[in-house]
Amino acid sequence: VTPRAIGLCALFCSLATISLLGQAPKFMGKAPVSKELIRIKLPRAQEVQLSNGAYLMVLEDHRVPSVQFEILMIGAGGYYDPPDLPGLADTTASLMDEGTSSKSSEQIAQALDTMAANVSVSANEGSQIATVTGSALTDQLDPVLALAADILLNPTFPEKELGLFRGRARAALEEQRSDPDFLRQERFGKVIYGTHPASSVGLTRESLAKLRREDLAAFHKANYVPDHAIIGVSGDITLAEARTKFEAALKGWAKSGKPRPGVVDPPAAGPARVSLVNRPGSVQTGLQVGEQAIDRLHPDYDAVQVMNNILGGSNGRLFRELRESKGYTYGVYSTVRALRYRGDWRAAMDVRTDVTEPALRDLLAELAKMRDQLVPADEFADAQRALTASFALSLENPAELLNLYVIRQLYNYPADYWDRYTQRIMAVTPAQVQAVARKYLDPARLQIVAVGDASKIEEGLRKFGTVDVFDDEGKALQPAP
Amino acid sequence: MRLRRLFIAVLLVAGAAVTGFALTIPKVNFTDTRLKNGLRVIISPDRAAPVVSVSVAYNVGSRNERKGRTGFAHLFEHLMFKGSANVADGEFAGLIENNGGNHNGQTDKDHTIYFEQVPSNQLDMVLFLEADRMRSPAITQANVDNQREAVKEERRLRVDNQPYGRTSELLAELAFENFANEHSIIGSMADLDAASLEDFAAFFKTYYAPNNAVLALSGDVDEKVALEKIRKYFEGIPSGPPAPPLDTAEPPQKEERRSAVQDPLARLTLVDTAYQVPGGLHPDMDALSALASVLGAGRSSRLYDNLVRQQQSAVQVYAGVQQSKGPGLFYLEAMVAPGRDPAAVEKAIYAEVEKIQKGPIQEWELDKARNAARRSLVGNLRSSLQRAILLSRYAVFFNDPGVINTRYERIASLKLDDLQRVARQYIVPTNRTVVITTPAPKPAVPDGGGAK
Repeated sequence: VTPRAIGLCALFCSLATISLLGQAPKFMGKAPVSKELIRIKLPRAQEVQLSNGAYLMVLEDHRVPSVQFEILMIGAGGYYDPPDLPGLADTTASLMDEGTSSKSSEQIAQALDTMAANVSVSANEGSQIATVTGSALTDQLDPVLALAADILLNPTFPEKELGLFRGRARAALEEQRSDPDFLRQERFGKVIYGTHPASSVGLTRESLAKLRREDLAAFHKANYVPDHAIIGVSGDITLAEARTKFEAALKGWAKSGKPRPGVVDPPAAGPARVSLVNRPGSVQTGLQVGEQAIDRLHPDYDAVQVMNNILGGSNGRLFRELRESKGYTYGVYSTVRALRYRGDWRAAMDVRTDVTEPALRDLLAELAKMRDQLVPADEFADAQRALTASFALSLENPAELLNLYVIRQLYNYPADYWDRYTQRIMAVTPAQVQAVARKYLDPARLQIVAVGDASKIEEGLRKFGTVDVFDDEGKALQPAP
Repeated sequence: MRLRRLFIAVLLVAGAAVTGFALTIPKVNFTDTRLKNGLRVIISPDRAAPVVSVSVAYNVGSRNERKGRTGFAHLFEHLMFKGSANVADGEFAGLIENNGGNHNGQTDKDHTIYFEQVPSNQLDMVLFLEADRMRSPAITQANVDNQREAVKEERRLRVDNQPYGRTSELLAELAFENFANEHSIIGSMADLDAASLEDFAAFFKTYYAPNNAVLALSGDVDEKVALEKIRKYFEGIPSGPPAPPLDTAEPPQKEERRSAVQDPLARLTLVDTAYQVPGGLHPDMDALSALASVLGAGRSSRLYDNLVRQQQSAVQVYAGVQQSKGPGLFYLEAMVAPGRDPAAVEKAIYAEVEKIQKGPIQEWELDKARNAARRSLVGNLRSSLQRAILLSRYAVFFNDPGVINTRYERIASLKLDDLQRVARQYIVPTNRTVVITTPAPKPAVPDGGGAK
């Protein structure tokens, strides 16, 4: 109930801690901090190519009698939606567990729910990948895996289920327009990516009306193929057991023989603008600023990670200044979205309507500071340490650790990529961070998106550039000059 | 394409089954010690990974707030991150995050918890930080004013600017009569404004004494060494007078309570019903949680199958029961499909309850709750943070951290009759509160652009 998203901080605030409580004895002086970085040896995943072409990766951890698995289908994500059918990949994934050649939707649901198995298929917008995930206690792995395999290999997309889905999806399309964050992401995607697949927010009323079961079946047949799959398994299982079980469960899954589908970079976005989505009655303004930045394999990747941590990490400058010092927002963070294609850097916050203008001005000032000044040595070292010391925590969670190896495999990184991660982050310099800030926090390209009550904030936003106004259906309310 | 999850604020209590499975699931081992100043200390070692987690739970939540000071416990939680006698403002978060850890706090009706997960060589640091703010938090006017604004933004973000934001508050206000139970955790803007520095000092003295708290530590520690360290940092903190007793008793509900909300931010109608349940360790709570699973867990649940699939009158359903120390609520909810009649949806929810009261429940339907409980038991073993949080929470909620292990067996021993019995006893019209939220007409959009 009412969990706080993250803890608080303000390095530049008053050090005075005058207490009303009287004594407040000094008792230990300063917090005892270990300067050691725990040297951890990451346990290795064991890996093997299966005869059907799927790449199996196993991370053993027998502490607890459970197994988690994920089957990554490269080429089945929302990136590959046909231009006239946005949401096809997501709809295909959503309907795979609604009927197979041997089981009805109800039978599948009952079997999975009874075992509390959490098997699901998802395909995110803009992603190359669809994922089948599941987990089971060790003694129920076989039946859970059999069900997951049936869903993966033999979905029939019954007409009746598609009809039911249409009804629910129509309601969801309506409902999401009441969500300020949806409106923000929809507009941000458009101004950063234009019509590139990264801009998609999935189904539209038009594509929902157009979708046929044949579209789903064809998308599944073409894109859920073993030679484009990575299977990650972690927990109470060995490589030999995993190999035997997955080969048996996925028997008959035929290779496509086709190369993995690629991606193209988005076209450059237009010059800096302000896009305002009018949400009458909104008591907050949802703000997001950002621009296109780098792909995952870009040589600037490590420096951008350090820059982003300093600026918009969980205890970064934006948080300290805009929340802790000014109290403008409950939370403000920035993220780097780096995939196979050129992604973006973005920062987001929700602020009360009447501080929209000062909050945005202060946020932009922090970006300018990143560009104009070298990060002081202490602050820089803190960020490097934050990024590297947290590795120890992942040792508790084999699924999280395995995910690192899956990323290595997805991007063809060298085998020691994660072993050398600490070294790479430690080698980044303040000058490099300033250089990437100048490149990727470029005010000439920065897009500002605001979702709020236009009657109260439009005038203030005009001070930040040309404002395009849209309604909550995404329609332009005045012609762009 | 997923609809938002119905409702916030509900922790689904799950149980467990031991019968019929080959697998033996290890128990969570822990020691339970009381320091001289009354601080309860629970230690659960697990040397598998170089990680330690600490959770400090204070036996105070929004239920302890008085009239005119709603939201106070939560605002106080925010203040606990603003520094203490030996820790500067911002230093707490900085030290945790910059040393590879993570941290957070959480306030609910019954408790306020603070937790951290760090590499195990930073155990001393975490204990120092928690002890310093237990002893001497920086309760200053500047900090209060600053966090008041952050909390008001949190209220806007979660309640005032969200569709259905007001609905859950109204539901609790109607369902309960005792002030302790009925008001929201986030509180009202007016009350947040009214909170004074003196209020905070008094609240701290009353509720943040070590004898009103539990510290749970789990992960890569030697139990004896850890206890010594905890004594070193915490045992010198003076104990306080016992917190005043809290009356959470609810007068018996005699008839249905009902209200309607017009929500300008909503686009679909939401039917919410809530039934009073005893809460705490009352023996019926296990059966009620399993009943919620039969009605609402997954696509195989009664509500989903009948309302969403068969009748297509709802697009989303929810069933769940609050886990808390005091009286709680059992929720049944449905988001009405566009163009369908909310009254019919409401009736359909009641029809599903009646079917359970009168007709058979299948064994597999109860197995859902049993397996979910088995799964969560195993999940608790894997994460030191989850373990620390639950051990401290159960110590505060139930005065029994061992609930982390015993819930499993209790759910295993449930019978189908138990579910029917609690359905007949609690899920009845006279014990019910209903709130129907309908979209309010939208304000006019300039330029006539709002094509729908």
